[in-house]
Amino acid sequence: MAKKWQLKDHEAERELFSRRLVLAAVFVVLLFTALIIKLVNLQVFQYEYFSARSDGNRLHSQYVPPARGLIFDNRGQLIADNQPIFNLTVVSEQVGDLDETLDYLDTLIDLSDDEREQFNNRLRRNRVPFTSVPLRYVLSEADKSKIAVNSFRLPGVAIEPQFVRQYPLKDLTAHSVGYVSEINRAELDSFDDEDRENYGGTNHIGKTGIERTYEDLLHGTVGYEIVEKNNRGQVMRRLDRTDPIAGKNISLYLDSQLQIVAEEALGNFRGAVVAIDPNTGGILAMVSKPGFDPNLFVTGISNKNYSVLVTDEINTPLFDRSTNPYPPGSTIKPFLGLGGLHHGLVDYEFAIEDPGYFRLPGVRYRWGDYTLRTAIGGGHGHTNLQKAIYQSCDTFFYDLGNRMGIDTMHGFMSQFGFGENFALDINYARTGVLPSREWKRATRGEPWYPGDTINSSIGQGYMWATPLQLATAASIMANKGKVIQPRMLKAIDGEPYDPEILDRVSDVVVNDPDYWRYIEESMSMVVHRAFNDVFREYGTAYEAIAMEDPEMPYRMAGKSGSAQVVGISQEILQSDDIQVSDPNKDHALFISYAPAENPSIKPQIAIAVFVENGEHGSSVAGPIAKAVTDAYLLDILQIDFAAMDSAC
Amino acid sequence: MSSQDFIRQSGGLGTKSSYSKSIWRTIHTDPPLLVGITLLCGFGLLVLFSASGGDVAVVQRQALTMVVGLVVMFIVAQFNVRFFRQWAPTLYAAGLGLLGLVLLVGVEANGAKSWLDLPGLPSFQPSELMKFVVPMLMAWYLASRPLPPRFKHLFWSAVMILVPAALIIIQNDTGTAIMVTMSGIFVVLLAGIRWRIVIAGFIMLLLASPSWFIFLAQEHQKNRILTFFNPYRDPTGAGYNIIQSQIAIGSGGIYGKGYGDGAQSHLDFIPESNTDFILAVLAEEFGLLGVLFLISMYLFVLVRGCYIAYAANDTFSRLLAGSITLTFFFYVFVNMAMVSGLLPVIGLPLPLMSRGGTSVVTLFVGFGLLMSIQTHGHNRSV
Repeated sequence: MAKKWQLKDHEAERELFSRRLVLAAVFVVLLFTALIIKLVNLQVFQYEYFSARSDGNRLHSQYVPPARGLIFDNRGQLIADNQPIFNLTVVSEQVGDLDETLDYLDTLIDLSDDEREQFNNRLRRNRVPFTSVPLRYVLSEADKSKIAVNSFRLPGVAIEPQFVRQYPLKDLTAHSVGYVSEINRAELDSFDDEDRENYGGTNHIGKTGIERTYEDLLHGTVGYEIVEKNNRGQVMRRLDRTDPIAGKNISLYLDSQLQIVAEEALGNFRGAVVAIDPNTGGILAMVSKPGFDPNLFVTGISNKNYSVLVTDEINTPLFDRSTNPYPPGSTIKPFLGLGGLHHGLVDYEFAIEDPGYFRLPGVRYRWGDYTLRTAIGGGHGHTNLQKAIYQSCDTFFYDLGNRMGIDTMHGFMSQFGFGENFALDINYARTGVLPSREWKRATRGEPWYPGDTINSSIGQGYMWATPLQLATAASIMANKGKVIQPRMLKAIDGEPYDPEILDRVSDVVVNDPDYWRYIEESMSMVVHRAFNDVFREYGTAYEAIAMEDPEMPYRMAGKSGSAQVVGISQEILQSDDIQVSDPNKDHALFISYAPAENPSIKPQIAIAVFVENGEHGSSVAGPIAKAVTDAYLLDILQIDFAAMDSAC
Repeated sequence: MSSQDFIRQSGGLGTKSSYSKSIWRTIHTDPPLLVGITLLCGFGLLVLFSASGGDVAVVQRQALTMVVGLVVMFIVAQFNVRFFRQWAPTLYAAGLGLLGLVLLVGVEANGAKSWLDLPGLPSFQPSELMKFVVPMLMAWYLASRPLPPRFKHLFWSAVMILVPAALIIIQNDTGTAIMVTMSGIFVVLLAGIRWRIVIAGFIMLLLASPSWFIFLAQEHQKNRILTFFNPYRDPTGAGYNIIQSQIAIGSGGIYGKGYGDGAQSHLDFIPESNTDFILAVLAEEFGLLGVLFLISMYLFVLVRGCYIAYAANDTFSRLLAGSITLTFFFYVFVNMAMVSGLLPVIGLPLPLMSRGGTSVVTLFVGFGLLMSIQTHGHNRSV
């Protein structure tokens, strides 16, 4: 035992322990020193760095989107409003498992595949991390409360209020005012740095129409906010704010009442109506029918709704008929006739004996008179320019066009805006075609044939013009050559807008100003020249317009037109057995301005009406022009023609 | 004997008044230690109030826990240290039994199956018990052997330390296992283990660590080690805690952002701001000065603990007091080093500062033992 349990030396053990304890104390001091060095390093030498990191953690600059400018019509009625909605948004960085969250949301508010797909598209776009991405626009009250109740299970999912565009007139302004919709990838890519910054808080951008043309005015300037956020991205405090500058409110010349009248006047037809105030160039109405509800696009149109719009090949509601070209037909005749007078090819006495067809010297082919094709045959007989206009005699213009030649025709007609876009702020409008030798060689690689001139001289063949161009030409005619270029924008924030036009279009000047009176008289006869004993001596639109309304208090200068859609032989057209299917029927056109031939008042409105497959320019398109003119002169301007007459 | 007398006389830190000494002796309380602990508790509650975002309930619960701890400390201090020496083997055996019981019927909380919910008793962690039972047993074992201990004794010491540590590791509570192991190792070190053995053991540990890392370490442990070397390899995942706590500490600067103005903690960027990472809150709001103040208070307690160990008059008491003091230091250092990025993240609270329950009470048991050693030992010889 004694060997196993040695005697303990207490003093030695105590000393051993004390030495160890001192050593331990040294270690303690050393380790604390190391710790203090580390802390001094962090808190003194790296203080600036960590201080900045700490601020970077909590301080966030976020965009405050500007309110989009409102759009008013001619008389102050709101046609593009901002309306508050509640969006369901997701910050994907804060969501644990995105698919799981979406599945859970699906059980709450029924997400469609469509919505998921669109959401994923939005996610894939270039975007700043930790920004919210809309999953569903316009949450219903019921859905809102379902989300709110379960919000603790939905980190990163929020309900955010937002102002979005609303178009109270719906279809009526779908094409002219256009719509805003979500900014897409291509648009983002096209932004420069300044734009990218300015659109930092904006989801929507003008896609068509005025919304697109005046995007810069309407959008405004983005604001900023410095906020303090916690680790879950919740805003705890607002520290600094630079207010956004709201977009400008703009007023258009467009008159929503007239827009409604025009749309209603088109009835069940597809077509377009453009009305211009010749004195200001202001576009009073611009309708393309059928339209669509632009509000659908604002909050992301569903695939189903969209496919309905794009698959309708007959109605093509997305297609803007007012700014796309069609053969103008006989509506160009007054302009061509004016050109004939100006160039000395015809005068007031000049007349032809119309056999009902035209033949080029040495050519056997006969150019028939379309205006007579369904009538009893024969020609117009003795026909001067005036009769050629009010009776719409093709043969006269075949002859005139042939003698004028395509070069002169092109030169004169282009002054009225054919083949060009005179509109100041409708840059998306097509220019149509005013054919020329160069044009044909460039586009077809063929020389110009004399027969091409013949077709062009009645607004067929290669000649194409948009309803907007026809209305423009009519307004120039109404102004007796003075060109006031068409425009939509009337005022910015209540200040009248008078744009500086860089390449102003020069006025149309003719050798004798009396030619204007002569053409106006001829165009008035189109509407007002009544039936009489003489065969084919009435205006083509008399029956449909002036005869319909014997009380008509003003005179209207007009010209009808029918444009061939497909080549159909005369025999088929004259046969009663064969029905021409609707899409193959001629387009009906009518241009007009009013009041005409009135010494006390200048023309106030110039109109072009295009009715797709409407067949008859005078009887289908004419009354539409009349209805719009009536509404504008009598209801909107409330001109008292009776008082005017008695004053004279 | 004369040197012992000298030590005994200087025990009152120059206080010659035997009257006041005797009062504290009677109630078995060491005034300097009590002052240090109370100051730390007060400061801890102050910081916790801010760290919890002004949650009075949290602070009240913590204060209550501390009061319970003080009572426990007081009760423990009433027992003569010989009592613990006598009962050390029994306590150890009971502790092992409870650890075994935990494996069978333990309750899981926070990923560790370390709680025992016995009928009639409040639920507790037997592993906490081992924090002071293991050094008690080691002190008991080595005190009755000639020191420095022989290799044979060291072998059995290792077994006595590692068996409970292994049982605690099986419970998935690595932090406590490390503390238990360290508290045993401190006894062995203080007992005078030969340096060559210490160095050899240290080298073996170093050599073994790569294979531990490759074969034995769990995924989150590997992550913590890798994150320690580069927190930015996963800044929003494994590295998040340490990055955010360094930002908090660093942005506190010398003077701090002011009490209650710690943006990092009040905007919830610091995880575990009430528990393991409370130092980050303190450092952010009170700056370097605040941390130095805390360290100096800890140092005060440590110096007093060392003094008690030094002044104790038997080997068991010395070893036990030394181990308790060093374990306390180990706690403090590891937590502070971890939060400031000097050591990998190990889930250990900051003593008397972090919010906690059982572990806080365990600390006070340690303080109670220190007080028992300080008061009873001298009483006997007076």
